[in-house]
This record gives sequence, structure tokens and C-alpha cells, in this order.
Amino acid sequence: MADHAVAAHAVHDPNIGNTGLDHRKMGMWIFLGSDCMFFGSLIGTYLSYKGKSLSGPGPHDVFNIPLTSYSAALLLASSLFMVLALARLQEHRVKAAALWLFLTAAAGLHFVLNQVYEFTTFALHEGLRLSTNLFGSTFFVLTGFHGAHVTGGVLWLTILMVLALRGRLDHRDYTKVEIAGLYWHFVDIVWIAIFAVIYLIP
Amino acid sequence: MAESHAAAVAHSGGHASIRTYINVAVALTILTTLEVASLYIPGIPNWLLVTALIVMAGLKFFLVVGFFMHLRYDSSVMRALFVGPLFIAILIILALMALFSAFILLPHHVL
Repeated sequence: MADHAVAAHAVHDPNIGNTGLDHRKMGMWIFLGSDCMFFGSLIGTYLSYKGKSLSGPGPHDVFNIPLTSYSAALLLASSLFMVLALARLQEHRVKAAALWLFLTAAAGLHFVLNQVYEFTTFALHEGLRLSTNLFGSTFFVLTGFHGAHVTGGVLWLTILMVLALRGRLDHRDYTKVEIAGLYWHFVDIVWIAIFAVIYLIP
Repeated sequence: MAESHAAAVAHSGGHASIRTYINVAVALTILTTLEVASLYIPGIPNWLLVTALIVMAGLKFFLVVGFFMHLRYDSSVMRALFVGPLFIAILIILALMALFSAFILLPHHVL
């Protein structure tokens, strides 16, 4: 009986394949798996070159732990906002979902602005640029790619919020928002790793 | 569209309750506070600090993936699609560190 139900969905819904799983969601998990290896390579490169710069400044000459901790808290809070947006959409409360999407995107944007401030401080006041030393190269490439991911996520969430406010997104589009949420939580877990491994471990 | 939603709900497994999400957020906040506070403990041995930071980051990672990304409620196929590459990513990090002598698990004569 259950098999018949799954087969019926597979016939009627082009997004559900023979596995009984949503193609879009599976595609996102495959992308996130590949992105894991991408960030794994960048983190591995940073750690491999750690302490091997021939000139300063080094990580602990420039890091501003209170600011970075605040940024980490922003991303963690945004992850909570994202699941609340999804829950509200599931309850058919589209306007509330749009509000939580706005808060998620706002926290993400705040994170990006903090990163812009951090990068400009490093470059203008600490003398650390991409080509200054091995630390500068590996640090800016790793955290810059993460920042680019967050920026992409902010744009995606903003588009979803606008669609919701215009009445072009409702509870039937749950999977679309869930997939955006998967991406957003992924940038959060990458920051969890970067925060601990790059900023906190001496 | 409605069928799409019904199918998605049917195949995405269960989701956590709002209460669970709040509890996870509180746990994440506590772990982050402990992570930062551990830096300021005077005289803490380096090995203990590094171990504690890695354990706490790992806990945060699995809380977000398990509850916020719903992976603990999701299909085993989705789980395999993420956990497999995650292991490869960890192996890439360890291999790079070992190759560049940045990793101390290998004896010095091997490095």
C-alpha cells in the first residue's frame, strides 16, 4: 500500500524520483557534500602552512576574538531564525515566515559587514594582505570564500522573503525554503569549524 | 504544487519541534561561551585546550546538522550523501597536515 503511495507520487510529482526522495533536496545534499571537501582543502591548507610564515604579522597579532565571537553568535542565531521561518511556513503563516527570513538575512548581512570591517582593519592597520605572507594568503582565501557563501545565502534568503511578501511563496513551497535553509545551516557549520580551528586554537 | 508539498513532507521525514530548536540554540550558545571562555583559563595545558575546543566544535557541528538541518530525521540516503564527503574532507585535512609535517601524530623519523 505504501509502495503504491510512493509510486503515485513518483508519477504525479516530477521532483520525486524512483528513490522516493526529492531531487532538489538530494541535489543540495550532494552540493553540500562537495562543498565540505572544498572547505576541507582550504582548512587543511591553512593548517599545513600555520606557523611557517617568514614574516609577520601572525594570527594572534591581528585576531579580534570578541568581534569574531560576536560574528559566530550572529550566525548561530540566524540558524535558529531559519528553522523558525520554516516552521512558520509549515503552519501556513507566510508573513511570520517572511519576518523570520528577514531576520535570518539581516543577521547574515551583519556577519558579512563584520568580516568587511575585520579584513579592512587587517589590511589598513595591521599590514596583513593577501600577499603579505603564507598566513595572509591562506586566511583571506579561506574566510573570503566563506564570506562569499554567506553573501550568496543572504541574497537567496532576501529573494525568498520578497516572494513571500508578494504572495508568491506559500506553504506548498516548503521544500524550496527547506533547501535554502540547508545551504544556510551549512555556512553556519563551516563557520563553527573555522572559528574553532582558525581563531581559537592557539 | 500541492502534490509537491505533500510528497516533500512525506519523504523528508519528521522535523523537530520549536521547543527542540530553542533547546538546541541554548546548547549552542552555552558551548560557544565555553569555547571562548576556555581561552582565558590561566595555565590551561595546550593539549587540553585544543582537545576541548575540537570536542565542543564537533558537538556544535552535529547539533546543527542533526536538528537544524534535520539530518537525524531524514532519509539514510541523504545522510550518506553528506557524511561520506565529510569523512573525505576530514581525511584531506589530516593528510595535508601530515604531508606538510604540521601534524604531530606521526613519529618524527617518519616525517
